Amino acid sequence: MDQTAAGQAGAASIHLDGVSKTYDGRVLAVDDVTLHVNPGEFFSLLGPSGCGKTTTLRMIAGFETVDRGRIHVGGQDITDMPVHKREMGMVFQSYALFPHRTVTENVAFGLRMRGLARAEIAERVRAALELVALTGFEDRRPGQLSGGQQQRVALARAIVIRPRVLLCDEPLGALDRKLRQQMQFELKQLQKELGLTLVFVTHDQDEALAMSDRIAVMNAGRIDQIGTPGEIYERPQTRFVADFIGEINLFDGEAHEGGFHLDGGRQLPAPVSSGRRRRVLAVRPEKVMFVEEGGSVFSGQIESVNFLGGYTLYRVVATGRRPILVKETNLSERRARAPGELVHLSWNPQDVVLFDH
Amino acid sequence: MLRKSVTRRRLMKTGAGLAAMAAFGAPAILHAQARTLKITTWGGKWGEIMKGEVLPAFEKEHGCTVQADQAFPFVPKLQASPRNDPIYDVLHTNSNEQWKCVVEGLVVDKLDARAIPNLKDVYPYAVSDKIVGVSIFTSAIGLGYRTDKGLAKPTSWKDLADPKLAGQRGGYLIPVNSLGQAHLMMLGKIYGKGFDDLDAAYKALEALKPIKLYDFTGQMEKALLSAEVSVGVIHDSGIYRYDGTNQPVDFAIPSEGVIALEQVLNITPGTRVKELANAYIDYMLRPDVQKKLAEGVWYSPSNTKVKLDAKYDARLFNTPEKVAKLIQMDWKWYNERKDDIDLRVARILRG
Amino acid sequence: MSASARRRPDPVRIAYLAVNGAIVFFLIAPILIVGVFAVNPTPYISFPPTGFSLRWFEKFFTSPDFMNSLWLSLRVAVAVLVLSVLIGAMCALALVRGNLPGSRFLTAFFMSPLMLPAILTGLALFQLYLLSGVGRPVWGLVMGHTLVAVPYVLRTTLAVLHNFDRRVEEAAAILGASPIRVFFEVTLPLIRPGVIAGGIFAFIVSFDQFPISLFLVLPNSETLPVVLFNYMKFDLDGAIAAASMVSIVMALSVVIILEKLIGLKAYVKL
Repeated sequence: MDQTAAGQAGAASIHLDGVSKTYDGRVLAVDDVTLHVNPGEFFSLLGPSGCGKTTTLRMIAGFETVDRGRIHVGGQDITDMPVHKREMGMVFQSYALFPHRTVTENVAFGLRMRGLARAEIAERVRAALELVALTGFEDRRPGQLSGGQQQRVALARAIVIRPRVLLCDEPLGALDRKLRQQMQFELKQLQKELGLTLVFVTHDQDEALAMSDRIAVMNAGRIDQIGTPGEIYERPQTRFVADFIGEINLFDGEAHEGGFHLDGGRQLPAPVSSGRRRRVLAVRPEKVMFVEEGGSVFSGQIESVNFLGGYTLYRVVATGRRPILVKETNLSERRARAPGELVHLSWNPQDVVLFDH
Repeated sequence: MLRKSVTRRRLMKTGAGLAAMAAFGAPAILHAQARTLKITTWGGKWGEIMKGEVLPAFEKEHGCTVQADQAFPFVPKLQASPRNDPIYDVLHTNSNEQWKCVVEGLVVDKLDARAIPNLKDVYPYAVSDKIVGVSIFTSAIGLGYRTDKGLAKPTSWKDLADPKLAGQRGGYLIPVNSLGQAHLMMLGKIYGKGFDDLDAAYKALEALKPIKLYDFTGQMEKALLSAEVSVGVIHDSGIYRYDGTNQPVDFAIPSEGVIALEQVLNITPGTRVKELANAYIDYMLRPDVQKKLAEGVWYSPSNTKVKLDAKYDARLFNTPEKVAKLIQMDWKWYNERKDDIDLRVARILRG
Repeated sequence: MSASARRRPDPVRIAYLAVNGAIVFFLIAPILIVGVFAVNPTPYISFPPTGFSLRWFEKFFTSPDFMNSLWLSLRVAVAVLVLSVLIGAMCALALVRGNLPGSRFLTAFFMSPLMLPAILTGLALFQLYLLSGVGRPVWGLVMGHTLVAVPYVLRTTLAVLHNFDRRVEEAAAILGASPIRVFFEVTLPLIRPGVIAGGIFAFIVSFDQFPISLFLVLPNSETLPVVLFNYMKFDLDGAIAAASMVSIVMALSVVIILEKLIGLKAYVKL
């Protein structure tokens, strides 16, 4: 890897302090967002469309004004700095390549804007194209490239200027699945090698979980939870996060010193709580076990069986409630269960997460 | 000299003074140095002679410039220009348009005979009560016909209705062409009680169908030359201009008479060069100018003193006897009814 | 399409070709007739042609009236092209990008010269010029033509701007391009095809303009369409057809030259 040609000039931290954005002076698109991205960190903003993640990113880039709060990058307040002075790289979902320019011209653009010498531009462009494996495509136009190749050009164009931070707005959203996984891997690799501070916007939980050092899950303009992929998955702090990330079984009831009381009276395995209050119990399908009749929490009939390669997903209908999802790893000695079969379910108290409504 | 410069210096101190000087000084300077006469005139061969010889000679004689507009439409442009500074000083059009203009006050209703001495030498028709201004030339509207179709030379306007000529006869779009309008009035006279017998005229027009209709006389000429029609309503100059080119077309004078197609000059009431305008009309009536133009485009001159070469003398209307065959239409009467007539005619020719 | 399918005559396809052929013929026929008329020696249309002659072209090219008017028409059309491209493109940018209140109304307003019959526009300008005492200068004619040419540039530029991916401009900005550089490096090159298409329209609108010119030309300095119209009233001969052929060739070559010089260059530059 040629660090001198395409490496970062010094990855910067990003601080958002109470940042808000309203549209038309009324609709709160981003509501009091505070977050901190460490230098060299891969940080994802995850959430459904309209949650404010893209607006947050565009405020960092400077495309949107900030109504309230401050943004610091590398310790410098950039809230009111014009876009072209922010020294950031950005990759767009639509690639946003210059259609009237060749690959070389696209990549060289930022360097040209900085008034670099021809020879240096040529060398850095060459190195950047080598980095994204596009050597040989120098004189093509964007229209003559595949989607994946275009995205690499966009990436090369963004990193060649050695940005303080790299912003990615759903950069892989337009690619097909296979290519997408490959690009995820390459992007992560590149980010690590160059030590880039990277803010990554996505609505795809798998992508966020696979690539990020940390994730901020956004919902309706606010951040619900910030944490490592493991924390987000295993310890969701809100019902929204639990629901949005992966599959989960949710039960409404009352937590107390003795455990968790399901509405309707049944006791569920759960850690003990201090005091009584209404809470939601969440348990991931892979934590639910098939047990013998005596130790079961629920009994019910298998409604459907989905064979998913490495594991099988069962939907179990217990009387009077939503189907419970059970994920069982496919081991050779296990016999397959069939629809209609009567089964008994339970889980360990430590595998449960409790949170407020 | 001294007084003038003092006055000027004093004047220059105030903007109002400057403005006043400009307001009073400018027209005087224009009058003294660059008098311009703005006229309308025809294009084609006529325009060539005008621009090539007639107008330059006039400019030289009067130390002025003549701005001759050959681009139609003259009357709308005149209507749109300010009355006190009209776009033309002398308007040259056919008679029907002069009548339209006089009703709107765009041209004077009577020329000043003292300012235009040559008026005393014109045939009476040129200044008759059917004319506003003066007719400097006239053509004769009759029937043009092909000589190679085995047709007898037409002798009457009624010959146009010969059933053999179905689809082979030519006329005009009456709303836009004054020859067509004149022909309509002629039909009233031939088939009815007089030029104003429109009912008879409509009936006669109906009987002429199928008939080929044209916008311009130029198109009628080409239609005759290319044998698209065998007989058509046309003015003599439109046929005679092909004299000597071996075209199988000739002009017939119907026994009922020919219709005068007058070339009329008149001045605008708001002209700022009235003397020059009168001088121009007088100049156009001069025998030498009349002879040049008459022989150039086969127009019959109005001035009785013009002596034409034999070829032209034989055909053009330049004796009291021949002039007596010219019928002048009452364009004031026609213009007042034009809208109704247009509607009626459109219905007849469409059906 | 397989070979067997191609061999079998498909009635739908035949009908499709027939309709297209008819349309093409309908479009080309008038030009062909004018072409025949232009090289036919007789001064009227005769079919079949009686011979081949360039006398009408000679007449056209040796007539000072025709040549002066052709030259005037060309100069006016070039001026109109430049003016309407500048005005039209700037208007379009302002309307799409300017956050102007009532931009829909303004768009309709700028398009309105096309709604009014051009003859009325010409008459109105004629009166305005006369009343304000400026007379009928060539720039007045250029302004009249520009008035009806701008909407074409506006339309084509608006179309390009509406399909414009503004992320491309954002990409340039974050790469360090100031707003002015963004405009010249990215915006302008990308809207150029629309502007040029509008400019070509503007040139042709002006070069062929008749109703507006009718009132605004000065005696002895008339544009080619006006001269042709008046010529037709007195001398309907092949010179008209020759002039038409020259006009068609002229307009066509301007289109081709512009397309070659600027239009395509947008994509092959550097």
